[in-house]
Amino acid sequence: MPAADPSAIRILAEVVANCCEGGAHHRLTLRVPGWPGFAPGQFVMLSPGPVGAVPRSDPLLPRPMAVFREHADERGPCLEVLYKRSGRGTHLLAAAVAGESIALVGPLGSGFRAPSAPGAALLVAGGTGIASVFELARTLADERAVSVLLGARRAEDLMGEADFAELHVNLEIATEDGSRGTRGLVTDLLEKRLAAEPGATVYACGPTPMMQRCVEIAAAHGAACSVSLENNMACGFGVCLGCAAPRTSGGFALVCCDGPVFDGRDIVWSQLP
Amino acid sequence: MSADIDAVLEVDTRVDLAGIALRNPVLAASGTFGYGSEFAPFLDLRKIGGFVAKSLTLEPRVGNPPPRIAEAASGLLNSISLENVGVEAFIHEKLPAIPEGVVVVTSAFETEIDRYAEVCRRLTGVPRIAGIEINASCPHVKSGGIEFGQDPQVLRQLVRSVRRATTLPLLVKLSPNVTSIAEMARVCEGEGADGLSLINAVQALEVDVERRRPVLANGLGGLSGPAIRPIALRMVWQAAEAVKIPICGIGGIDSAQDAVKFLLCGASAVQVGTRNYLNPSAAQEIAEGMQAWAKGRGITRLADLVGTLEMPRR
Ligand SMILES: Cc1cc2nc3c(=O)[nH]c(=O)nc-3n(C[C@H](O)[C@H](O)[C@H](O)COP(=O)(O)O)c2cc1C
Ligand code: FES
Repeated sequence: MPAADPSAIRILAEVVANCCEGGAHHRLTLRVPGWPGFAPGQFVMLSPGPVGAVPRSDPLLPRPMAVFREHADERGPCLEVLYKRSGRGTHLLAAAVAGESIALVGPLGSGFRAPSAPGAALLVAGGTGIASVFELARTLADERAVSVLLGARRAEDLMGEADFAELHVNLEIATEDGSRGTRGLVTDLLEKRLAAEPGATVYACGPTPMMQRCVEIAAAHGAACSVSLENNMACGFGVCLGCAAPRTSGGFALVCCDGPVFDGRDIVWSQLP
Repeated sequence: MSADIDAVLEVDTRVDLAGIALRNPVLAASGTFGYGSEFAPFLDLRKIGGFVAKSLTLEPRVGNPPPRIAEAASGLLNSISLENVGVEAFIHEKLPAIPEGVVVVTSAFETEIDRYAEVCRRLTGVPRIAGIEINASCPHVKSGGIEFGQDPQVLRQLVRSVRRATTLPLLVKLSPNVTSIAEMARVCEGEGADGLSLINAVQALEVDVERRRPVLANGLGGLSGPAIRPIALRMVWQAAEAVKIPICGIGGIDSAQDAVKFLLCGASAVQVGTRNYLNPSAAQEIAEGMQAWAKGRGITRLADLVGTLEMPRR
């Protein structure tokens, strides 16, 4: 991972593909000329809908999306985003067809840092947070043992499982209804693995209660735990001050530029919205 | 052949806003453009008219707890509560980072009139600062903005006091949350303001029906974005009818055509706000779009558009 994360560009990206992968899950591939690369954990702001002289006004805000991974084809750099069709913004995103333009600002935020300790890495992800940790898993797997623990309510709520299966990682899955993998919470899987690998470093991205629990479990085992917060954002680059998260040391951090990755102990979890 | 037409039809985009010479009428609005240099990766700061920096207080300020923003229909609700680095950090850390040749207008906000005046005194005489905009209109700080901008007597005292505190071009940014914008405009003109900026965000409330609570942690917030544009146009027109000092039009400007609408209603210049978040290149695109719009219609001077709306008279 590079010392400094690549800085942002704004560009009209071309939709290469935008496929439904079952249920509400979609995979968007964008061609992004001039894409500077990204650090695992960085994200982009996407504005689907009309671009140009009269821009879209409703829904107004762009949507932050983790960069799932990147590749290059004969026409240049492309990146992939996994998303769940849930609100108005993601419905609009799902309607974008190949050849259309989507305004993109990114890569944004400061990403994950490699573990300072030599041990294994345990990546815990749930919901759309799964997309944030794929590139982290891939890069860390080159240098150390990596376990990826994915959680979802039901089997059909899991996204990107097949992609993780192709990595050199130990993949474990928990669903609340037991329809895939172990029945129960993904944080239970973390408890077990951390007991087996005491020197491990924990990374977590997903629903707030899941991340909070991961931070508690890691602390109980004396392990470091980085989290990637998913916040509402208006700008994504530190100027609207809308994405504030309360800091343990007082005041607020900006999730879009101080994060989205934080040391789990630096966040006042009880005061998160 | 088309090159000939281009040469003949150069559009003069320059405007004078309250003694501030602008290369074009498009500024970025306070609170939506950070301290300027954040936008350097996304546009050429020398290709916009200028920008108004985030409102400054005497001391640094921390904002409200989250959630601070919420999406509304064609709008954004915010309760940031004027988080800022403070006037000294702006002068010594932020200002030097702004490239030469960029028009920088500062914005002052405080909770008491004397403190407003002190912020203005500290900004006066600092090289590179082209003017001061008094934020008399922030709709979400209980102890501050709203009272100043809503009560004509308080506004009169405020403008009188800051006018004495600075020789810089002085703009007063008005609150839309008033019964008569014309009255507020006249008060400012009477006390020696060089110009007016309007409108600030419109006081608003969004509700979470399941929790039966406001969506914003602060309760009330300020609505900005395209949703408020027709309100802003109306108020700019009314203010322009009431005073002779120049007006900077603000509220939901998304496109060059939107900016032209404000000029027609009587604004000499405009400020782009919320759209900067959504498209950090927007201010430059709008400035260039205005020039292209004028060119396409054979208009040679943008300033000639100001106040040319034909309002039916009853
Ligand atoms: C998040 C946010 C913060 C703002 N902060 C300030 C501020 O510090 N000072 C100020 O005078 N106006 C502030 N404003 C108001 C804007 O400058 C502008 O008047 C308002 O948003 C209307 O314009 P728009 O619809 O183009 O956004 C802020 C607006 C937003 C959305
Ligand atoms: S989203 Fe605007 S400051 Fe973070």
